[in-house]
Amino acid sequence: MFAARCLGVSLAVFVLLYVSLSLAVGRGWKLAWRIFKPRLASGSADLLFVLRILPFALSCAFTLVFTLPSFLLLEPRGTDEAIGTAPVALGLCCLALFTIGTLRAYAAQLRTSRAMAEWLSGASVMESGPEATVLQTGKHSPSLTVAGVCAPKVLVSEDAVATLTASELRTALRHEMAHVRRYDNLKKLLFRLSVFPGMKHLERAWSEEAEIAADDAAVSSFRDALDLAAALIKVSRLGPIQATAELATGLLHSSTALSTRIQRLFAWDKIQVPQPDSLGWKYALAPAAATVICLFFSYSSVLTQMHAVTEWLVR
Amino acid sequence: MNRILGLLRPSRRVQLGPLEQQLLTVLWQRGSATVRELLDDGEVKLAYTTVMTTLDRLYKKQVLGRVAEGRAFRYSPRHTQAELERAAAGEAIRQLLDSGPESSLPLSYLVEAVSEHDARLLDELQQLLEQKRRELRSKEKH
Repeated sequence: MFAARCLGVSLAVFVLLYVSLSLAVGRGWKLAWRIFKPRLASGSADLLFVLRILPFALSCAFTLVFTLPSFLLLEPRGTDEAIGTAPVALGLCCLALFTIGTLRAYAAQLRTSRAMAEWLSGASVMESGPEATVLQTGKHSPSLTVAGVCAPKVLVSEDAVATLTASELRTALRHEMAHVRRYDNLKKLLFRLSVFPGMKHLERAWSEEAEIAADDAAVSSFRDALDLAAALIKVSRLGPIQATAELATGLLHSSTALSTRIQRLFAWDKIQVPQPDSLGWKYALAPAAATVICLFFSYSSVLTQMHAVTEWLVR
Repeated sequence: MNRILGLLRPSRRVQLGPLEQQLLTVLWQRGSATVRELLDDGEVKLAYTTVMTTLDRLYKKQVLGRVAEGRAFRYSPRHTQAELERAAAGEAIRQLLDSGPESSLPLSYLVEAVSEHDARLLDELQQLLEQKRRELRSKEKH
């Protein structure tokens, strides 16, 4: 009974936090993005990713750091107290959320694996690198895409190889490699795991920023920018934008984004793309250290208060 | 989004006139403004009462929000330009699809138009690319 109550209370607190945070993020992400938007596209994509994943991560952390220890340390084990209706109902909601998230992630992974198996039939290795293998595929695959989560592969269709010049192909491949380095397909999988309605716009905004971030990573001169723009135009002429597998990231995202991206590449010599700040994480050190210190000195009182909240929930 | 679409339906009283559109565009650029601020900036050359009435009309049509600021109101758009444009485009497409007796016919016109538009857009981008490449080559020669 003690274990069941512990589980029920932990899941109930998790779901309450998760739903409130998700609603807050769903409503307020645009405002937060407008206020804190970094100058770099990669930073902007990272911020959107953090906002999308924040409810799940914070709820997990809170449950593991506060709810679970408060129950284990302060709840008397001998009592034969009932679990209570609220924790049972909320715990079931939480389990339903976990199940839906897991099923969605599994289904996405399954569909991607099936699509990849189809695309890879008859494929040949073009280049084998430490980050990902580049494979040339047949006609019935997306022109240029990076697919897979654990061992992502960059796929280039034979049409794309025939259409693009060597420098255009090189720049387009650098774009795809940027997606590999930034684990964009893994992030898509996490979005499916942390399911909540009303997050589509945030995910779409992340997707567009991720494309621009990959463009920036692929381009280091105006010549590169024009090569990438040419590759985008040529690949979109090869056919309509194909619906790729869910855990795959193609060179083309959507026709609106395509036009915006090409115009941005044309203006590459005029816009100042800021250099990535490798020491940017240091700015987060001070608040993180302050949080840890505060937590260290107030942990026992927070646990007591947390236990009072869970007691109220059980009643 | 449904709320925005509702605003654009012809049956409702919320089709925007030229004056309303002009003021809305200025407010999108500024973010928010009072009547006095709009007039003082010089972007709007209308009488105070005309601007006040037009903004009030936009507020009643739920296109603008407002908060009291002293004895005046500060107005701000409730939706971004992109949201309104998307809603307007969606509504236009819906009307097109509802217009024909056979539902697939207007849809085929639409697909054709979009394909033509996409091809034209790509042609324009291609021309621009060639021009940029020529500029780059001449810059490198010098």
